Amino acid sequence: MSKIIAENVNVYYGSKQALFDVSIDIAEKEVTALIGPSGCGKSTFLRCLNRMNDVIDICRVEGSIKMDDLELNSRKLDVVRLRENVGMVFQKPNPFPKSIYENVAYGPTIHGIAQSKEEMDQIVETSLKKAALWNEVKDRLDEIGTGLSGGQQQRLCIARAISVSPEVILMDEPCSALDPIATAQIEELIDDLKKEVTIVIVTHSMSQAARVSQKTGFFHLGKLIEFGSTEKIFKNPDKQQTQDYITGRFG
Amino acid sequence: MNNYKKNLLKKRYNAERRFQWYGKIAIGLALTFLAVFMFQIFSKGYSAFQKTWIVTEVHYDKELLLIDAESPSKDDLENADYYDVAYKAMTSLDPGLPEEEDRQLIQMVSYKYETEVKDLLLKNPDFLGKIVPIKLTASDDVDQVHKGNYPRDIPEKNRRVNDYQLQIYDMLNERGDILSEFNISFFTNPDSREAELAGIASSFMGTVFSILVCLAFSFPIAVLAAIYLEEFAPKNKFTDFIEVNINNLAAVPSIVFGLLGLGILLAVFNLPRSTPLVGGITLSLMTLPTIIIAARASLKAVPPSIREAALAMGASNMQTTMHHTVPLSMPGTLSGTIIGLAQALGETAPLILIGMVAFVNTIPGTPVDPAASLPVQIYIWSESAERGFVEKVSACIMVLLAFLILMNLAAQIVRHKFEKKWS
Repeated sequence: MSKIIAENVNVYYGSKQALFDVSIDIAEKEVTALIGPSGCGKSTFLRCLNRMNDVIDICRVEGSIKMDDLELNSRKLDVVRLRENVGMVFQKPNPFPKSIYENVAYGPTIHGIAQSKEEMDQIVETSLKKAALWNEVKDRLDEIGTGLSGGQQQRLCIARAISVSPEVILMDEPCSALDPIATAQIEELIDDLKKEVTIVIVTHSMSQAARVSQKTGFFHLGKLIEFGSTEKIFKNPDKQQTQDYITGRFG
Repeated sequence: MNNYKKNLLKKRYNAERRFQWYGKIAIGLALTFLAVFMFQIFSKGYSAFQKTWIVTEVHYDKELLLIDAESPSKDDLENADYYDVAYKAMTSLDPGLPEEEDRQLIQMVSYKYETEVKDLLLKNPDFLGKIVPIKLTASDDVDQVHKGNYPRDIPEKNRRVNDYQLQIYDMLNERGDILSEFNISFFTNPDSREAELAGIASSFMGTVFSILVCLAFSFPIAVLAAIYLEEFAPKNKFTDFIEVNINNLAAVPSIVFGLLGLGILLAVFNLPRSTPLVGGITLSLMTLPTIIIAARASLKAVPPSIREAALAMGASNMQTTMHHTVPLSMPGTLSGTIIGLAQALGETAPLILIGMVAFVNTIPGTPVDPAASLPVQIYIWSESAERGFVEKVSACIMVLLAFLILMNLAAQIVRHKFEKKWS
């Protein structure tokens, strides 16, 4: 079942076009990986899904992106509500310079999800457990989030993202700043999370895309070259360009 | 390695060494200037913290005080006539002196000596009818002689202390009746025409009130302006124009703001002149651009990733700004504010224009009472010809510097506290 359906999405930064007629179906409770060389527009597309491009003044998005029949690319859309449902994890871990507890509790606080302190404690605990961080930080929730190691910080950011129980989580190269062990932990986490959440992940690592995703889309120069099941993309792609990229002949 | 390469390497190391020396020389020069400046002020000013007293005996004679009642009440003491008692206390120092020469003795103490005689009795009513020792504030001339600042070898007619007075001074000094104590009245007295009585209480309070008013006006306005411009305002020609103007405002000479205060606050709004309220508002015009620029710079310095994190969690622009960006920028904003206030603290010209240069011999209790300020006090005293004011100028500078150091220290502490919380 499709969670997000994008049709003919064009994105412009000023006069420069960054995405050309991208159409893609993202399935519910699956991991969709977006791969491609730097500057190919995969992050731009990802940021359309929670309207983070709004922050950039000169950015203009055309086309239709529907999530459960809700048009995302519409002026009337309440972005605050959208972002409550579509969480995001960034390339560089960016926890707030506040305590670990406050980091996770921030989303539920501003969206009024928890009614009491006990409920909030419960949300923080569950989120940290889902992010596989609970055991490491349960005794030091008051410590500052930026004091954790890089991998822990990224898992804290994931815990923060899932604290408001979003339906979709967007990940923008979540492991590019992490070592292989931390990367493995995050990948395991993604595998667990997909039982409940739809995940879209942008990655530079093809092996990562192959390991974690069910569907893969290959972007090149702002165009979606090929989209299909991960197995097919990696073993038997339709397009020569995809084949070349996968085998490392360019990009 | 060939010779050419060796030479090149040597040159590079030499260049670095030379550069380090330039830096060391520059710092050395700066420190020397500072040391000379400090030495100049301290060597001149430290004696102002000592006050000279003349000890004599006073006879609280009921008859001379014109008290009739058997057991006089407080009111009786208050209304008694102290003129003769005080006069006698001084003339008793040299009973042989002819009456028409008595002024010479009286001139050795401050003109408030009668009040001092009265205050002692009011404090100790049981002294009535007794002969007791009393400390009287020495005149500034005697004070300067005692501190060794007054040359004794110039001809008598050019001296403010004549030979007879020097003789009495020497006699008293030998008896141990000239006392030198910490000068509390320098801090508790308002300004005075007499150097021995002049203090910084009115100008100090004036400065404190001015700074508080300045802070109260400039900080909220500047921070709100900075937040709006940096976080909410669209980036277009108009906001660029505003930015250029704010930067210009920071470079406007302070006297222009003084004229503005004079022309608008005093002439149009009729606010009370010579008051810290007007002074503070005028100074806040100067501080405003400084704080705006500092606040904008520190807002800009907050990493965009923090904003993205908050926005991606579904925080509104307002929440992102208030929960994350502003608290993170506060240390920088506060230190900018302190720099602005420190500039305002030392500002003289605009205060002179709005009348804070007036002679104020009362201590202001509120920002709408007339007051001077420390830098203006320095200016007023430096214009006085009397020798007693020379050391006061330096002492006042020392107080101003101490004030500045305290403010910077407070800023550091506040900054430190914030930063501990955020990193």
